[in-house]
Amino acid sequence: MNNREPIIQVNDLHHTYLRETPLEVTALRGVNMEIHAGEAVGIIGRTGAGKSTVVQHFNGLIRPRQPGRVIVYGHDMSDPNVDVRAIRQKVGLVFQYPEQQLFERLVGDDIAFGPRKLGLPFEEIRERVREAMEMVGLGFEEFKDRFTFSLSGGEMRKAAIAGVLALRPQVLILDESTSGVDPRGRKDLLSRIDYLHRHHGLTVIFVSPNMEDMAGLVERIYVMDGGRTVMSGSTREIFSQPEKLAEYGLGVPQVTEVMHELKARGEEVDTTVLTVAEAEEEIWKILNS
Amino acid sequence: MAEEPIIKVENLTFTYNAESDNPIVALRNVNLEVYPGDYIVIVGHNGSGKSTLAKNLNALLKPTEGDVWVKGMNSKDPANTLPIRSTVGMVFQIPDNQIVATVVEEDVAFGPENLGVPPDELEERVTWALNVVDMEPFRLRAPHLLSAGQKQRVAIAGVMAMKPEVLVLDESTAFLDPVGRQDVLKAVRRLNDEGVTVIAITHFMHEATEGNRVLVMEAGRIVMQGTPRQVFSHVEKLREMQLDVPQVTELSYALHRRMPGFPPDLITVPEMVEEVLTQKGKGRGTQ
Repeated sequence: MNNREPIIQVNDLHHTYLRETPLEVTALRGVNMEIHAGEAVGIIGRTGAGKSTVVQHFNGLIRPRQPGRVIVYGHDMSDPNVDVRAIRQKVGLVFQYPEQQLFERLVGDDIAFGPRKLGLPFEEIRERVREAMEMVGLGFEEFKDRFTFSLSGGEMRKAAIAGVLALRPQVLILDESTSGVDPRGRKDLLSRIDYLHRHHGLTVIFVSPNMEDMAGLVERIYVMDGGRTVMSGSTREIFSQPEKLAEYGLGVPQVTEVMHELKARGEEVDTTVLTVAEAEEEIWKILNS
Repeated sequence: MAEEPIIKVENLTFTYNAESDNPIVALRNVNLEVYPGDYIVIVGHNGSGKSTLAKNLNALLKPTEGDVWVKGMNSKDPANTLPIRSTVGMVFQIPDNQIVATVVEEDVAFGPENLGVPPDELEERVTWALNVVDMEPFRLRAPHLLSAGQKQRVAIAGVMAMKPEVLVLDESTAFLDPVGRQDVLKAVRRLNDEGVTVIAITHFMHEATEGNRVLVMEAGRIVMQGTPRQVFSHVEKLREMQLDVPQVTELSYALHRRMPGFPPDLITVPEMVEEVLTQKGKGRGTQ
């Protein structure tokens, strides 16, 4: 596979839950996406837009139906013979509620569960658990023998992510995995994921309602609405269209909104600003004009 | 203030597992007075004690030391538990955990029905409660098929149908998307406008601007309190505590440092825009 080829490719994906029953609900009505190795990509959209349904296709939790196609690392996910276990080692998924993902009594055992299932030797399992725990900021010695359910919400989230990282995935999907974590835990987690992305080449797929977090982590964004991908572009391109985002029930980072408002009032400002530091420089120019 | 506080917390200390070898002190000497009609926002990290404080306000937990008075009733007296709970209603983080019925209106009716409210009045209360949270059109729907924000509004309606004077929201917006969160906040604001006293616990700093008073908790203590603007003006201290300062406030503070005439404590986007336009050109020569 050459580098240009996407590692995940989604074409015209549709999905209906409880198909052919009176309770059927159509979640996806035409999704197209491409994710390349080493990217950090965001998926935004209001509740019910289909974000979670899409990402669950990426590691085979949900299988695509014809004519929709999902290709992951060259494997057609609609093929019943595809090696889902191999895919799940490469594509790790962390859900919203960490307590649903933890089940062992001790933190270390929980994180070791995946590597153990791979049949790795003891020493390697231990090494991977140590590495994964350090990556998320849970000290190995301090936490390995702690009871899983004595952890705080933020620590549980980290343990769940460590359990996924212990499989050494190439892609990490975070499906609203920072909701309900307090700001300190959230910032810590996001900066660690940003580090893994920048320095270890981890591909990150980030689903979050927090536009400021989104702006800080991802390079590219897909916007979903009503089960479709409706916008796509660089983070700056997407956030420079607040009116269009508002139609989909979405906002932009607060500082970006300030720039758009200033522009609407006749000021010549850069509306692609994403961070406080960038906004400070832009406004400084106005104050000195 | 001449008015009597509806809730008075005096030197409250609360310890989990107080009798064991491993006691955990969650609240240390907390004092608080809540007046009728207040909208108080309590912010702080997980583990700062804010949920423990909330649970002490409706006698779900009783003080280890100190006292909690609700309309003059001490929460330590078991005879006061029920009257306190009918005065102080509580909504939790995950709405699914407090929805009991299979139809929205039945869920909302569950509480007051158990209080023995007669059918006519019950009907009236359910309609009022669903209207106030903007969920009337959904009254015959199944709660589990609603969005998280809608479910949370049903949960609030269920509590409000019991007509408490105080509504405590314990991280009730933590798991909602921005639209769901706005809808819930709107419903709470409307209740406050109707005279309900609100105490909202959150770790979203920007929700602090909803209230008339903000308390910041850290390690079991109230470490800051005041109007939203007073609290937000301490950007450095908030940042030190790693609380989320709204981007506009960060920006306002950064500009203030370069130009002392620029206010350090702006909170909202419109305020920032007006200020920039007013101060346009005034930065020249300063650095």
